[in-house]
Amino acid sequence: MITARNLTKKFGDISALTDLTISIGPGEFVFLTGPSGSGKTTLLRLAMRDLLPDSGSLIVNTHDLAKLKKKDLPALRREIGTVFQDFKLLADRNIWENVSLPLEVRRLPQSQIDKAVKIALELVGLANRATLFPAQLSGGELQRAGLARAIVGKPKMILADEPTGNLDPKTARVIVKLLKDIHAELKTTVVMATHNADIVNLYSHRVISLDKGKLIKDNPKGKYE
Amino acid sequence: MSSHFTTAANRIRRSPYQTLAAVSIMTMTLFLACAFFLIAAGSQAVLKYFETRPQVNAFFATDFTPSASQVEIIKSDLAATGTTDSITYISKEDALTIYKELNKNDPLLLEAVTAQMLPASIEVTAVNPSDLKPLADRLKEVEGISDVRYAEDVVGQLSKWTASVRAIGIALVGAHVFITFTIIMLIIGVKVANRREEISLLQLVGATPGYVAAPFIWEGLLYGLSGAFIAWGVSYLVLLYSTGFLIGFLTGVPILPVPVIFMLEVLAGTIALGALVGGLGGFLAVRRYLKA
Repeated sequence: MITARNLTKKFGDISALTDLTISIGPGEFVFLTGPSGSGKTTLLRLAMRDLLPDSGSLIVNTHDLAKLKKKDLPALRREIGTVFQDFKLLADRNIWENVSLPLEVRRLPQSQIDKAVKIALELVGLANRATLFPAQLSGGELQRAGLARAIVGKPKMILADEPTGNLDPKTARVIVKLLKDIHAELKTTVVMATHNADIVNLYSHRVISLDKGKLIKDNPKGKYE
Repeated sequence: MSSHFTTAANRIRRSPYQTLAAVSIMTMTLFLACAFFLIAAGSQAVLKYFETRPQVNAFFATDFTPSASQVEIIKSDLAATGTTDSITYISKEDALTIYKELNKNDPLLLEAVTAQMLPASIEVTAVNPSDLKPLADRLKEVEGISDVRYAEDVVGQLSKWTASVRAIGIALVGAHVFITFTIIMLIIGVKVANRREEISLLQLVGATPGYVAAPFIWEGLLYGLSGAFIAWGVSYLVLLYSTGFLIGFLTGVPILPVPVIFMLEVLAGTIALGALVGGLGGFLAVRRYLKA
C-alpha cells in the first residue's frame, strides 16, 4: 500500500525526512510514532501528495507519486481516507453534509450518497447527530464525524494524523477502538501517526518509530519508545 | 450542475452587499453596451436606407410655379441622360398634402401653412448612387430651382456619425468591460480566499479542480445573467419610451418601431457578454488560487 525508498523531504535547510525506506502492506494497522518534528505528518502528507518529495520514490496503492499526473491526483485521494487532528469539518455544513463530502465530489447519485452516509454515521455512533452542526458537537463527536467522513468512500487506506491529539484519554481510546473496529470490519489499511504512548501500548500492532526524519525502529508488534 | 448552481446561489444570497456591487457594475456596463449597440445599429440602418435610395430633390423657389410644359421639358431632359429610374414632379398642392399628412396630429402647424408657402419640387431617383452628383448639377442649372439636395451629403455625414458612435462605443464599453471584469474577479477572489480551508479539504477528499471551481464560475455567470436582464430591460424601456419622438425625428426612415425579434437578439448578445465577463472573472479568480 505504501512503499517508500530513500524518501527525502526538506523544508529549506531543515530535513523533515531523510532517506526513509519503509513498506506498509495491505490490511495492516500501523502506528507511526515519534516526537513532534520527527517527520510523521510529513510522511502522511507525502502519501496523500499534499507535498512532493525532494528525492526517493513513494508508491501509494498502485500510484507512483513521482510520476503521478495532476489529473490523476483526485483518483489517488479518493482511495485514501484522511483523519486530522483538528477534525477539519466545515462549520457551515451539518454533520451529514460534512460526511457526504467525499461522495459528493465523486458526483454519485444522491440515493447512493444517503445510504453510504447513513451506514458510516451508524458505524461511528453519530446517527442521531446527523443534522447538528460542528459547533454543537463535543471534541470526541467531532473526531467521530471526521472518521465517518474518512470511511464513507470505502477507501483502501486510512491515514490518521494525530487523531487523538485534541481529545481526553477516554475519548482518545474510543476513537482508536473505532479505528480498530473499522480496520477489522472493512479490512482497511490504517496508518495512524501518534505520540500517545498509552494508545500505542494498548495494542500490539506494528510500530514505525521516527526521529528527526529518520527511521529509528520498525517493530511488528511494538511498544512506544 | 444543479448542486453547483445551488451552492453559488446560496453564496450570493449570503453576501448581499458584494452581490449588489457586482450586479450594479455589471448592469451599468451592459446597459452602456446595449445603448451603444442600439445607437450604432440605428445609425447603420439609417445610413443603409439612404444608401439604397439614390435620390435628388430639387426645390423651386417658393414664389415660382413652373408650367406643365416646363416640367415636361425638365423631365425629358433628365430622362435623356439614361441615369434616372423615376422622375416625379411635386406641385405646391402635392407638397401641402404631404405636409398635412406628416403633421396631421398638430392642428396648429396645419392652420398656419398654405400651398403658396411651400415650394414645388422634382424628385429624381437615380439608377446608381454615383449618378446623383451629375443629376444634381444638371438640376441646379434649371430655371427657377433654388435648392438641390441629394443623398450623398446625408450619407457622408451619417457615415462620419456612425463611425464616431462606433469608435466611442467600443472604447467606452471596452473600458467598462475591463473594469467590471476586474471587480468581478476581485469579489469572487475574496470569496475564494475566505473559503481556502474548504477548498483545501475538498481537494484532499478527491475533488477535481473543475468541481472546486464550478460554484465560483456559476457565481460569476449569475452576476452576468442578472446584469444582462436588468440592462436589457432598462434599454428596451428607454427605447419604447422614446420611440414616438424618434419616429417624428426620423420621418420617412422606416426603422422604428424596433422589431421584438431584433430586441431578443440584443438580449442574447447581452447575456453572452455578461456570461463571458462574469464566468471568465469567476474562473480566473479561482484558477489563480488553485494554481497557488
